[in-house]
Amino acid sequence: MSDLSTQVKQLIIETLDLEDIETSDINDEEALFVDGLGLDSIDALELGVAIKKEFDVKIDGNTDDSKKHFYSVKTLCDFIASTRA
Amino acid sequence: MQFVISKCVAWGDGKTSTQDWQQYAQNLVTQSQSLPLPTLTQMPAMQRRRLSAFAKITLHCALEASGDYQHDIASVFSSRHGDLHKTTKLISDVADKEALSPTHFGLSVHNAVGGLFSIFTKNKAPLSAVAAGEDSFFMGLVDAIAKMQRYGYPRILYVYSDQGVPEHYQQYVKQQPDNIAVALLIEPGNNSANFELNFTSQIPNLDEESSQLQALDFLRFYYGDSSQLTIESKRFNWSLSRNEK
Repeated sequence: MSDLSTQVKQLIIETLDLEDIETSDINDEEALFVDGLGLDSIDALELGVAIKKEFDVKIDGNTDDSKKHFYSVKTLCDFIASTRA
Repeated sequence: MQFVISKCVAWGDGKTSTQDWQQYAQNLVTQSQSLPLPTLTQMPAMQRRRLSAFAKITLHCALEASGDYQHDIASVFSSRHGDLHKTTKLISDVADKEALSPTHFGLSVHNAVGGLFSIFTKNKAPLSAVAAGEDSFFMGLVDAIAKMQRYGYPRILYVYSDQGVPEHYQQYVKQQPDNIAVALLIEPGNNSANFELNFTSQIPNLDEESSQLQALDFLRFYYGDSSQLTIESKRFNWSLSRNEK
């Protein structure tokens, strides 16, 4: 699980050009968007494409479910892990 | 067309300050191929992170030249190629059947840098994006002056930028591959115009485009001592003269 978490954080940093941020700066439970890390709607689209590519998962557009999956690093990891189960 | 240039800010290969451009106009500096990037510290890091080199040099000049007027000044952004490095990457991703980056897609349109300028400055004034082949610098200037005169604006921001084209396109472009951004704060020249721009159609058209970048010719003239600049392009004859002060 922690391996996946580091991998997701690395992906977030690289995909979204977060120049001055390290994986250790991102809290697993903290909100990714608006509050917390402060990402915006363009980041959400970009991250969606990157997660699809990297983990070969299917994401259903702008649904309540996908909003929950993209809340934090932890919810993203749970989502990715659940598609592999 | 008469007008006043109340501020000029330019950024290019190895030339970033007024002093650099003055030396360039005196032929004192040799062409440097390296393009330093402006720091744009006035912009929050979260907005700055998505900016390409093209966007950075263009925004730097636009923000510096518009200064205190940046929140409500009308503007014209001109470029022959736009952010072609970004567009080329997208096109090769399409060819490779890769998923496209939404960010790159959104920022590759011709008016993207103008959009970034207006978002950052919260400027809701009219803004247009111009491309006019090798005449992009002067035609964009014509558009800016015409808009200012037609709508009675007290001033307008004119911004031009281009980069050397990506390798795939080099065989089709004769123009020198310099990176250049220039922004002018322009005001009406009612009684005190310091510049006059005229142009006529080139009849018949020349066979070849010029290899010179009009923006660099302009900067050499602006920072130099001569009173007149004449430029031939494939389709136009341009003449810019400076009135005695």
